[in-house]
Amino acid sequence: MSDIRPGQERFVAPIDETPLRAIDAVNVDAVPENQWKEAWKRLRTSPLFWLATAILLVIALMIFFPTLFTNADPKKLDLADSFEPGRKGHPFGFTEQGGDVWARTVYGARASVAVGVFTTILVAIVGIITGAIAGFYGGIVDTLLSRFSDIFFSIPLLLACIVVISVLNNTFPDRGFWGSVLVVVAALATFAWPQITRQMRGAVLEIKNLEFVDAATAIGASKMRNLRRHIVPNALAPVIVASTISLGVFIVAESSLSFLGLGFPTSIVSWGNDISAAQTQVRSGNNLQVMFIPAAALAFTVLGFILLGEAVREALDPKARKK
Amino acid sequence: MWWYVGKRLLQTIPVFLGATLILFILLKLRPGDPILNLAGNKPVSDEVRDALAAQYHLDDPLFVQWFQFVKSAITLDFGETFSGQPVFDLIKQTFPVTVTLAIMALAIDAILGIGLGTIAGLRRNGWFDSSVLVVSLLLLSIPIFVVGFVMQLVFGVKLGWTSPTVGSDWTVSSLILPAIVLAIANFAYTIRLTRTSVAENLSADHVRTARAKGLSNRLVVRDHVLRNSLVPVVTYIGINLGSLMAGAIITETIFNIPGIGNAAYTAIQKGETSTVVAIVTFMVMVYVLMSLLVDLLYAVLDPRIRYV
Repeated sequence: MSDIRPGQERFVAPIDETPLRAIDAVNVDAVPENQWKEAWKRLRTSPLFWLATAILLVIALMIFFPTLFTNADPKKLDLADSFEPGRKGHPFGFTEQGGDVWARTVYGARASVAVGVFTTILVAIVGIITGAIAGFYGGIVDTLLSRFSDIFFSIPLLLACIVVISVLNNTFPDRGFWGSVLVVVAALATFAWPQITRQMRGAVLEIKNLEFVDAATAIGASKMRNLRRHIVPNALAPVIVASTISLGVFIVAESSLSFLGLGFPTSIVSWGNDISAAQTQVRSGNNLQVMFIPAAALAFTVLGFILLGEAVREALDPKARKK
Repeated sequence: MWWYVGKRLLQTIPVFLGATLILFILLKLRPGDPILNLAGNKPVSDEVRDALAAQYHLDDPLFVQWFQFVKSAITLDFGETFSGQPVFDLIKQTFPVTVTLAIMALAIDAILGIGLGTIAGLRRNGWFDSSVLVVSLLLLSIPIFVVGFVMQLVFGVKLGWTSPTVGSDWTVSSLILPAIVLAIANFAYTIRLTRTSVAENLSADHVRTARAKGLSNRLVVRDHVLRNSLVPVVTYIGINLGSLMAGAIITETIFNIPGIGNAAYTAIQKGETSTVVAIVTFMVMVYVLMSLLVDLLYAVLDPRIRYV
């Protein structure tokens, strides 16, 4: 009986063997530990989680303190340096245009991760709200919302972004760093939210008929309070996992768009642009580091988010853990 | 069953209308005067302007224009590219390659994904399972075009097993490498899905019964575990045929395959938004149709779906 948690003592104390004083000493008002604290406890012991955290910490340092990693200027281009091999201060040599490969990789983290993070936040907010409403209210609201999300779901993400961005490219040709991030985020988010909506709707449908919700209604919780306090927090687990993993997917999607010439304008330092610019070199088999360094950084980041998602999934759903 | 088919058909109509509406709005948001575009950016007289507007329904209310857009999509009349070739001719020329490529990728995805996923699921947490999981995670995190370039370099350029680019006179054997690259994008998901499904079914009651009545392990796995595990996997793979065609845009560009994705890429590069929208509209139609077929197939495979 070692893992009795606060608030559970009174249910498990064997009455006839427990002195009255001990029963009185039990703190009846103690709140049972919630799902998130439990999950955090499991997360702390997961090596996968710490591996993911380490990866993401390195990337975060790259984003906020790039000078820790390189002293070179990512935007300085000198054609005399074209495809020069690495030398002191420039460990991985130079691109075709004579930019420092490593410096561009370090500074490129910003654009790629910004797209991933902002798209995920937007998609999660829209998806959670629409999914919760559809699942909770059911009926005509559910039908309308579900069919509406089906429409966006029916267009493959990459195809949709191709159309949106090729239209927006002509409308706002000159839009700076944040403008470019906004365009890619808007295009991805517009067509990615139905995934989260579906998941949230499913989770809410499952939970809203559970006994503890009836219990809350019985002690006088209003519909809104039930939804906010009891149903949504319990339905969030699968959505958080899916969002973390999709963050990586969005970063990959941005680089695919850049590859097609539809991601960021070439004036912006980003992994997608650098990989895309290096493609002509790869066919010849020369200067491979020009592509592999930014590609490795990208894969490393995406792996970090996928591992984090896996770790959180295992922590939130003990059933899925290895037996 | 027929009730389900009817319901599913009815659901497809608003999805199709909505998708065309989105594409139509995007087309309308395109900057510039469409009549000037039609006339090749030369100044036009008022009479010509009126005639062009009437011919292309540009003076009708937006709602009617959308209706025309849907009608032309259904009748497969997608207008012309800037060089005057009807877009549907372009699609007819390029679509067979893309379909071949997508079906090959699907076959590779199904054989390898289901095969490896089943072994991993049967020996859960063994070394094979762990290494398959690690490889699938790695494949998920590397962008598909990087994988494509590496495969092209290694098998096409360095080893010379196959030609690095395909070109206009494509053959099935020259598509093998691109098909593998295309399959990799979905492969990781197929493995994981099969693995979970098999592992779940292994502890199901009917499998225990099958073992209890003394069936050999091979028969239990083949007839009782696999058959039940594959329903979700088959659905997933089926839906993918549509998204594989979308993914083909990158693979076809890398390997220079004269498919529909390459046509879309060329149109993007030239800034021909109307052609891009036309090709994407066609692909969305294929995708919606495929999802419909897969859903109906799913209902045939799994009787529970029909009665919900």
